[in-house]
Amino acid sequence: MGSRERVQVVLAGADEHDLTKLAEFRKAGGYKMLAKARKLEPQAIVEELLTSGLRGRGGAGFPMGRKASFLAKDTGKPVYLVVNADESEPGDFKDREIMFRVPHRLLEGCLITAHAIDSKHVFIYLRGEYSHEFEVLRAALDEVRDAGLLGGVTIVIHRGAGAYICGEETALLESLEGKRGQPRSKPPFPAVQGLYASPTLINNVETVATVPAIVEHGGDWYAALGVENSAGTRVFSLSGNVVNGGNYELELGTSLYELIYRIGGGIPDGRKLKAVIPGGSSVPVLTAGEIQYPLDFDSMAEAGTMLGSGAVIVIDDRCCMVQLGLRVAQFYQHESCGKCTPCREGTRWMVQILRAIEDGRADHRDLDLLLDVCDRILGKCLCPLGDAAAMPVASYVTKFADEYRQHVEEGGCPFGGQSSLEGVFAPVDQHAEVPVEVPA
Amino acid sequence: MSVELVTVVIDDREVQVAKGTGIVETALSAGIEIPVFCYEPRLGPAVGACRMCLCEVEGMPKLQAVCTMTAQDGMVVRTAQTSAKAAEGQDATLEFILVNHPLDCPVCDKGGECPLQDLTFRWGPGNTRMEFEKRTVEKPIPVSPAIALDRERCILCYRCTRFSESVAEDGQLVAVNRGASSVIATFEDQPYRAPFSGNVIELCPVGALTSTQYRFLGRPWEIQNVPTVCGLCPVGCNTHATMREGKVRRMLSRNHPEVDEGWLCDKGRFAFTHLYARDRITDPLRRVRQRGFEELSWDDALDEAERLLRDAQGRIVTALSGSETVEQAYALGKLLRRGLGAHTAVLPEETSSALDAFRLPLSAIRDAELVAVLGDEPVAERAPIVDLWLRAARRAGARIEHTGDAAESCRRLADGRDALGKRLRESERAILIWSAEEGSGGSHLAALASKLGFGGKPGSGAFHLPATPNGRGIADAWAACCDDEADSPEEIGLLVVSGDEAAADPNVRALAERAERVIVTSMFQGLAVGWADLVLPGTSYLERDGTYVNLEGRLQRLRRAAIPPAPDELAWISKLAERFEVEVPPYAAAVFAELSELIYDGLPFGEVGERAELRTRSEAPGGELPGEFAPAAANGELRLVRYRPLFSGPAVERVPELQFQRPSPEVELAPQDAEARGIRNGEAVTVGHAEAAFELRARINASLRTGIARIANEHAGDLGGFVEVTKP
Amino acid sequence: MMEGFAERVQELAMQYPDPRSAIMPALHLAQVENGGWLSPESFEEVGAALGLTPAYCQAIASFYDMYHLAPTGKHLVEVCTNISCALVGAQRVLEAFQQELGVRPGETTEDGEVTLRTMECAGGCGWAPVVVVDHRYREPTTPEDVPAVLRELRGG
Ligand SMILES: Cc1cc2nc3c(=O)[nH]c(=O)nc-3n(C[C@H](O)[C@H](O)[C@H](O)COP(=O)(O)O)c2cc1C
Ligand code: SF4
Ligand code: FES
Repeated sequence: MGSRERVQVVLAGADEHDLTKLAEFRKAGGYKMLAKARKLEPQAIVEELLTSGLRGRGGAGFPMGRKASFLAKDTGKPVYLVVNADESEPGDFKDREIMFRVPHRLLEGCLITAHAIDSKHVFIYLRGEYSHEFEVLRAALDEVRDAGLLGGVTIVIHRGAGAYICGEETALLESLEGKRGQPRSKPPFPAVQGLYASPTLINNVETVATVPAIVEHGGDWYAALGVENSAGTRVFSLSGNVVNGGNYELELGTSLYELIYRIGGGIPDGRKLKAVIPGGSSVPVLTAGEIQYPLDFDSMAEAGTMLGSGAVIVIDDRCCMVQLGLRVAQFYQHESCGKCTPCREGTRWMVQILRAIEDGRADHRDLDLLLDVCDRILGKCLCPLGDAAAMPVASYVTKFADEYRQHVEEGGCPFGGQSSLEGVFAPVDQHAEVPVEVPA
Repeated sequence: MSVELVTVVIDDREVQVAKGTGIVETALSAGIEIPVFCYEPRLGPAVGACRMCLCEVEGMPKLQAVCTMTAQDGMVVRTAQTSAKAAEGQDATLEFILVNHPLDCPVCDKGGECPLQDLTFRWGPGNTRMEFEKRTVEKPIPVSPAIALDRERCILCYRCTRFSESVAEDGQLVAVNRGASSVIATFEDQPYRAPFSGNVIELCPVGALTSTQYRFLGRPWEIQNVPTVCGLCPVGCNTHATMREGKVRRMLSRNHPEVDEGWLCDKGRFAFTHLYARDRITDPLRRVRQRGFEELSWDDALDEAERLLRDAQGRIVTALSGSETVEQAYALGKLLRRGLGAHTAVLPEETSSALDAFRLPLSAIRDAELVAVLGDEPVAERAPIVDLWLRAARRAGARIEHTGDAAESCRRLADGRDALGKRLRESERAILIWSAEEGSGGSHLAALASKLGFGGKPGSGAFHLPATPNGRGIADAWAACCDDEADSPEEIGLLVVSGDEAAADPNVRALAERAERVIVTSMFQGLAVGWADLVLPGTSYLERDGTYVNLEGRLQRLRRAAIPPAPDELAWISKLAERFEVEVPPYAAAVFAELSELIYDGLPFGEVGERAELRTRSEAPGGELPGEFAPAAANGELRLVRYRPLFSGPAVERVPELQFQRPSPEVELAPQDAEARGIRNGEAVTVGHAEAAFELRARINASLRTGIARIANEHAGDLGGFVEVTKP
Repeated sequence: MMEGFAERVQELAMQYPDPRSAIMPALHLAQVENGGWLSPESFEEVGAALGLTPAYCQAIASFYDMYHLAPTGKHLVEVCTNISCALVGAQRVLEAFQQELGVRPGETTEDGEVTLRTMECAGGCGWAPVVVVDHRYREPTTPEDVPAVLRELRGG
């Protein structure tokens, strides 16, 4: 597929104007769609969303319109809209850019969606570390309030406090209710019993920020963008060993090759591409030989991985895949909420095995054990976090089997200290504040 | 109300159950066990944390934690028995649970009665593949003087924390940290100080939470559990007394769904060690000189008792404790009333049978839509488990109204115009609870209940929370002994003091001052020595056979768990009775048989039952509304509310593990009253009036109504009526 | 006792249907007031303001990385060491900070000025390596920048 002229939906106009200002945003047509939407029947908007084929941008890729139509009706309880702005998936930084460059588009999306689902209460669960984005959003919200655009809807920006798991929708709701951010078992689904046991629609920042454009140009227009089953554009977060890291809004279906080489400028320092993580650290890895695949839901499934949250991490040939596995596993051990057994115990065990392999203390049995532990986590946890740890690591071990075997046979890391990840220090090793574990 | 039946297929077996039945229960009804750790319906909605219950459910790609699912028609479930996938899942869960478990079963109290051991034995991996360092932490740490926590054994099922948060609602036992470093903890390692803390020991499916009293004391194959009933408060929770080498080593709950739902208060659970108190009396004692004492043989003791009884020439008053068994009371009554015409007996408080017309099981509180609590005494202090039923009711959506002063609000509610009274009258499931120090409360409530039309409403009823565990049973038994009546004697020739609570009661001591002679039966020297002429060894409810009547009016069976160190009351009463030509069998069964003919429609002793049924509502004398209530406070004064703390009394005083639970020297105030006096929480304040005043710490309690100051008896001196509370 | 703390917490609580939801902003506020960390007293105050037990407040705080349960330095330097940053040299940046400060990650300098921590993916992967100084993102930060960063900190 050749490079096409770039359509921008979510980030449109941000290069030309300072859209953080209400005035500028309005000049660019901002909040016109809110006015239009409020004249429409809520159901009509949901219909447009259904037609548009817009799928969730947070990771699961569930059609937004469908989710909206699942909301329990006449429960006598308020309906809540919760925007998932907890963006913490390693490799992901798109929601952050959306929020600090087009905050008003997100807010307009909130108000339109709220109207579409008869909600008067919107909560934006914002990742705690995003303090600059908090200020931008708050300023924008003040402008909207002063401009009298809220129309009786309250929007509360709730700041997280550093817990990846709170991005999982039910953990997010628990956290928002003032509890420990541990996922709930589903069913009941948020659409039926969400925030404060009331019907709740949860969507990702990018998803919600797409809504105004759909109201403006219609569902059919949006559906025509991208490819089958993957309508529209996505803001891809490109990072790792690539010349031009950053966020790029592209139509779905653009190939990995085009993103990495045409747009990203390829691999720096004349290194060779070794692997690509196409959807954030939670998804299985692709080898250099697999980058012809287009970035859309179906093609990624075909490639045995997932589009996830659209975070593309480029890995060159200096990287030791055991160290990568270790670092990824350490992340999930650190972020496991501790509620369900396989995830809590399994991720810690994975780290121990990987550390042994990297240090040359392991034998072939440990490679099988590692795969078996991953397999025993897969599909048995309360929420997808366990899978998110097991799937990628298993893919490293299988797709880079030789490298793993080498560690075992050579009794240590073949990179001899030259790996790009050498000596990486993970927060899980840090536990300075809560000295729970004491040496045996 | 008809229940919709659905058909579920589990391991190819079809079962019909009510729609919405939990899958774990559904499987059981098909004779199939689905292993669980975190699942415990009494703790609220299932959390699906431990993943032990993974099964295949048709139509779902992934294994499901079926503990979170309920029966729907046509559901097809495969457990480990018929699904390799499910078996693999359970095996995996167990392997993960065990990777960081110390496997120190040989030195673990839970060993032999441990779900983790059993499930590993049945479903678990035979070997361990964990070759790395296990999580090691400081252990064991005291959660309180009564409870030890071994965090390495903890499997993080969150049963204990869920109990603390959503059953007892004390919010004190929590999980801290995240992921693999999560641990169970109290705030800054302060003791878990709450009336129901001990339940977490029984909830813990491993040896993580253990009883400090029971630590290293017995192996499950060396113990017997004797089914009996707690005798320390009027609820009468059903219990097991764990026996080893003839000694009681621990108390366990024995779920009676209508009475206690399997919960115990810490008094019922931990106070049993008073049996082995250092000052336990094992032989009869006679006063020599002023304060001295000498042991004497039983024959001499009986001669002495006979002499004292005869010398009194009928001028005898009996002070009962309210903790005697029905049989003891009847036996003693026969001896004294028929043998000596000594009809006068005093109980700590009067009782009334009027509420029999509004009888309900305690569990009805949970199902109520409206509950009115009359009186300012904390329900948990008078009848602990009732407090848990009230919390359950509130969680289930019931309105709980605290109406303030019992007598006053009783009259108010009876008045047709009162708003709450109206709601109570209109509600189909309304409950009245009398939580104040007043025996006539039962009669007052009965009067109110009939005014509110509860008679015709099977879902509505009333409970009086009496001060004694068995006052009602004792009063009935004493009354049944004989029909003669007599006025209480002018001056008291002999005061017979039956039991420790009576011996500890200031009013009884006052009577003793007036009495020429005193006989006391008591368990403890500390209580009897110094003022009794003759002391006969007493026994505990754990050493007696017999029956109790609880606050519902439920006749329950006590079983002798431990052999008392001396002949029990029935034994010597029967011997003594012979000397006065009264026939009293020395065995509870026989005594009950005789009494049952008189007041329990001939119900055989053997049929009182392991989980006794509540007799249906019966005709009862109408009650009587309280008279005009006390004068209002002079301005600035607060009405003093004294209460007898749950953690008090002769038994509790002798249990080291319970001392930290005793009330601290404080006065509870409503926020408004505190503010009006410029009093901050935790400040020292002066409480009292012109004559007497002393210092206490102020505790601001948002759930307390204005106009009162609440103080535990042991910190209230002899204050009464109204008091001033001021900053010193 | 922080002046008017309870009142401010109750204000925060007004934003939510259930006051319990305000516990995170309340803990955040308490941490700021208490000089960067949450002490047992902080939990008692937050609990009192929201009608929760201190134990509950501690249970919440200890779940999240951004609440500190032990004293921290005046300044907080956080180095992202997740994969995108690590692939382009986060280790070197971290080492530079360790060098300059003479502490290991998780520790605070003798003079109580700076606490050094590593953090999980900060969300700046495309502009790596990412360092967060007193909650402000510095993207990218190279080992060479480190001395300047610290001078700036210590200066201002
Ligand atoms: C461990 C985990 C972390 C997640 N983190 C995020 C996140 O940071 N942001 C997000 O939008 N969705 C996240 N999700 C997905 C959410 O659970 C949810 O599917 C999504 O917010 C729904 O919004 P969408 O339909 O618009 O994508 C996460 C899921 C899991 C299992
Ligand atoms: S202590 Fe026992 S009950 Fe509490 S979480 Fe651990 S295993 Fe469960
Ligand atoms: S018993 Fe079902 S998850 Fe614990």
